[in-house]
Amino acid sequence: MADIEIEIDGKVVSAKAGEMLITVSDREGVSVPRFCYHKKLSIAASCRMCLVDVEGVPKPQPACSTPVNEGMKVHTQNDKVKASQKAVIEFLLINHPLDCPICDQGGECELQDVAVEYGSDVSRFSEGKRIVPDNGIGALIQTDMTRCIHCTRCVRFGLEIAGMMEMGGTGRGENLKIEPFLREGIQSELSGNMIDVCPVGALTSKPFRYELRSWQMNSMPSIARHDLVGSNLFVQTYKGKVKRVVSADNDWVNETWISNRDRFSYEGLTHKNRLLEPQIKVQGQWKQVSWKVALDYAVKGLNSHVLKHQKANQLGGLVSSTATMEELYLLKKILTEIGCDNIDHRLNVKNLDNIITLDSNIKLDALEKIDYALIIGANIQLEQPMINHRLRKATKKGADIDVLNVMAFDFNYLLNTENITAPNKIVFTLAGVLKSIMTNNAQELPDYLAAVEVDEVANNIASKLLNSSSSVIILGEHIINNEDASTIANLVTQIARNANSKTLNLSITANTIAANLVGFVPKNSGMDVNTMLVSDMRGFILLDIYPQYDFHDLEIAVKAFTKDDTFVISLNGFKDDIVSDYSDVILPIASVYETSGTQLNINNDMQSYTAAVKAPKEVKPAWKVLKVMADLLELPGFHYADSTQILAEISHQPYAKHTHDEDINLTSKYNSISTIWQSSPYSIDAVLRHSSALQKTKIGQMNSAYMNQASAETLGLSADDKYLGVPVVITSAVADGCVFINANQATNTQEQT
Amino acid sequence: MISIDAKKQIDVWIAKYPKDRQSSAVMQALKIVQAENENRLSADTIQAVADYLDMPGIAAQEVATFYENYNHKKVGKHVIRFCHNISCMLNGADDLIKHLENKLGVKTGKITADGLISVKKVECLGACVGAPMFQINDEYFENLTSDKIDQIVNNLK
Ligand code: SF4
Ligand code: FES
Ligand code: FES
Repeated sequence: MADIEIEIDGKVVSAKAGEMLITVSDREGVSVPRFCYHKKLSIAASCRMCLVDVEGVPKPQPACSTPVNEGMKVHTQNDKVKASQKAVIEFLLINHPLDCPICDQGGECELQDVAVEYGSDVSRFSEGKRIVPDNGIGALIQTDMTRCIHCTRCVRFGLEIAGMMEMGGTGRGENLKIEPFLREGIQSELSGNMIDVCPVGALTSKPFRYELRSWQMNSMPSIARHDLVGSNLFVQTYKGKVKRVVSADNDWVNETWISNRDRFSYEGLTHKNRLLEPQIKVQGQWKQVSWKVALDYAVKGLNSHVLKHQKANQLGGLVSSTATMEELYLLKKILTEIGCDNIDHRLNVKNLDNIITLDSNIKLDALEKIDYALIIGANIQLEQPMINHRLRKATKKGADIDVLNVMAFDFNYLLNTENITAPNKIVFTLAGVLKSIMTNNAQELPDYLAAVEVDEVANNIASKLLNSSSSVIILGEHIINNEDASTIANLVTQIARNANSKTLNLSITANTIAANLVGFVPKNSGMDVNTMLVSDMRGFILLDIYPQYDFHDLEIAVKAFTKDDTFVISLNGFKDDIVSDYSDVILPIASVYETSGTQLNINNDMQSYTAAVKAPKEVKPAWKVLKVMADLLELPGFHYADSTQILAEISHQPYAKHTHDEDINLTSKYNSISTIWQSSPYSIDAVLRHSSALQKTKIGQMNSAYMNQASAETLGLSADDKYLGVPVVITSAVADGCVFINANQATNTQEQT
Repeated sequence: MISIDAKKQIDVWIAKYPKDRQSSAVMQALKIVQAENENRLSADTIQAVADYLDMPGIAAQEVATFYENYNHKKVGKHVIRFCHNISCMLNGADDLIKHLENKLGVKTGKITADGLISVKKVECLGACVGAPMFQINDEYFENLTSDKIDQIVNNLK
């Protein structure tokens, strides 16, 4: 686009030919009121609030849909413009209730602001106003549709961003209503953003309803901690409580959107299950004690069970994937100092000899510029909504996407092909893809590929990869416990190398990348988590662990922690019976937004945040607890005044890179039916599990074990049964030989019925 | 939900639009489906049309509620769509509507006791030259007078 010059209010500014006037005026800081225009949505030009005067054009023009051209002279403040603005506001207010005092949007309402600034002082309208009934659209968004000004931002948001058209304008003229169809409620994982885009009080946050005015709250920038995007957001607080979370702009990370789990998880912070005081178990009885007593008890326990006997090698440290980088580092440092190498964060991996090692080498914003993606083992729209959104943008520009999954999932874009394959076949398909690519490149084939048959699916994927100029291969969470996990990851690496493709590893999530960076995995003779659980251990330090959700096998873990002479120190944010059963000390730690820390996202951006609120009651940030524990253990080098000093020390650590073993063994070892246990997106961490509004949504309630008829027969199950405690759903969408579980409950807590 | 026969008719319309633009046939599809469902649409039939055309249910609903040609409540065998927009109004539509209501003994929006006729007030039907006018089923009747209305209505069976 050519550079041109135009004049706005007598000031010459430069612009690109063809861009919309409002883009230029926004850039120049000229205020033009608007309702329907939103920088990330298509242009509707329906509200007419943005009218400006363009010299030579008799009628005022909407700035949001008037392209600029050389020499254009625009006035945004003259009488003609003012008269138009006044008229538009008057029309908008004809049907808008003047009930700002009882409207939740009051004080942060675009209509209120614009009416005050551009409207008239008195209303000339004394007739009856339109009233629109509300039917409710779910647990997250409160509707007051009488206040809707039909800007259609929410409709366009659904269509263009969420990829599910859920809201629409029904009826016409005076009867036009913005509503969803069938009143099932809004389902999209990104729907909470409608609250932010709605300029008036028609769509507001339901959990926040009638709580506070925006000006009463402090707004603190922070980082979302539920997935590896690390969306930027503002935490709004009042009197030490988090009251609401809204999105912050960062084009590099989350653009201007956040997922529902990032927006509503804060509700969990005030749940009655919060752990508020340190506790110690004396002769089987729990006692609430002061921090001093609890920490002394913990340190004494460590001394008497482990250190006194020089048995640091029988101590283990395990962490949840949501821990901050500083917490991970400190715990590792403590354990290293006392001579213990038994550390791990990979709690849900069944076989640690068979793990996925795959680097992500594509940035979030580059994802929308790819022309081809192969997704393996992910229900990406549900599990990674923000990343899926980038892919969806790529498809809109023509990218093709192929899927290799064990079950047919919902996608909010058209797929090139959707291949539903049994878990034990995935490895062969990928081997076929690699063989096809190498044959095509006239490369010498390694031995293990010699006998591989290349089927049509593999051939198609291979030719797509070869013909693409920027492709990505995405490996998802469903592969974690695949019997061929490491081979699959290795094949993906090989394929990517030979097809010049990028890779994205979504099999890890939350702050796992930080855990890898600080090296929270066993080195030297250290034991990994699975070995620890079956070894003779004398003590554990567990950071925010809830075994029934975090481990693939609850029983083994609980058995290991419960052993009589095993001293267990648990740092937890929430009360939990199982944790109480096996722990000797429970230390209450700060949860999201209550602690400072750092999150390392998939872009490798180190995003640090400060605490937005003080943790309740006796609760302390885990890094402080660990620091004091280190002091009491009389370990050197723990003189941190705040968490940034810890971070500074980490940054100097060499980055622990993965190494790839190139040995690929293609003999599949398989039992008849394999089970993939996938927690529902709102039960992946403790805060989410305690946020009531999220739990009420359809996604929060999802709890099904999907299998096809044949698998059900093999397992002797029918549609009324439960499998591993989860209700059975029989559907042909699942591949043979596979049960796919989407659960909002604990793993294996109930026996199979 | 949609009969094979209706699907065949819809397919004819789909074929008129470019590939992947089957949703352009939504108006005709709704009309066809309405015709085989007692001349009315329900949430289920609208969803069925949307599914058949691979479009969001709400998008079909938008169309179905925008045009007066679609009925969402039970209607009579004959539907009189009486225009009351500007041209017709200036030519006396309001009085004629009252006349029709009195003659039939029902208000607009309702069905006669025998289920034969229902009356709807609609916006401009694009026949302003012949205002005042109404439409019965697919046929236009223009330059209406009370006598003419009586005559037309008497002939409905
Ligand atoms: S609900 Fe809000 S965003 Fe949606 S059309 Fe109405 S005013 Fe606009
Ligand atoms: S903002 Fe330009 S018409 Fe609405
Ligand atoms: S106003 Fe009645 S047909 Fe146009």
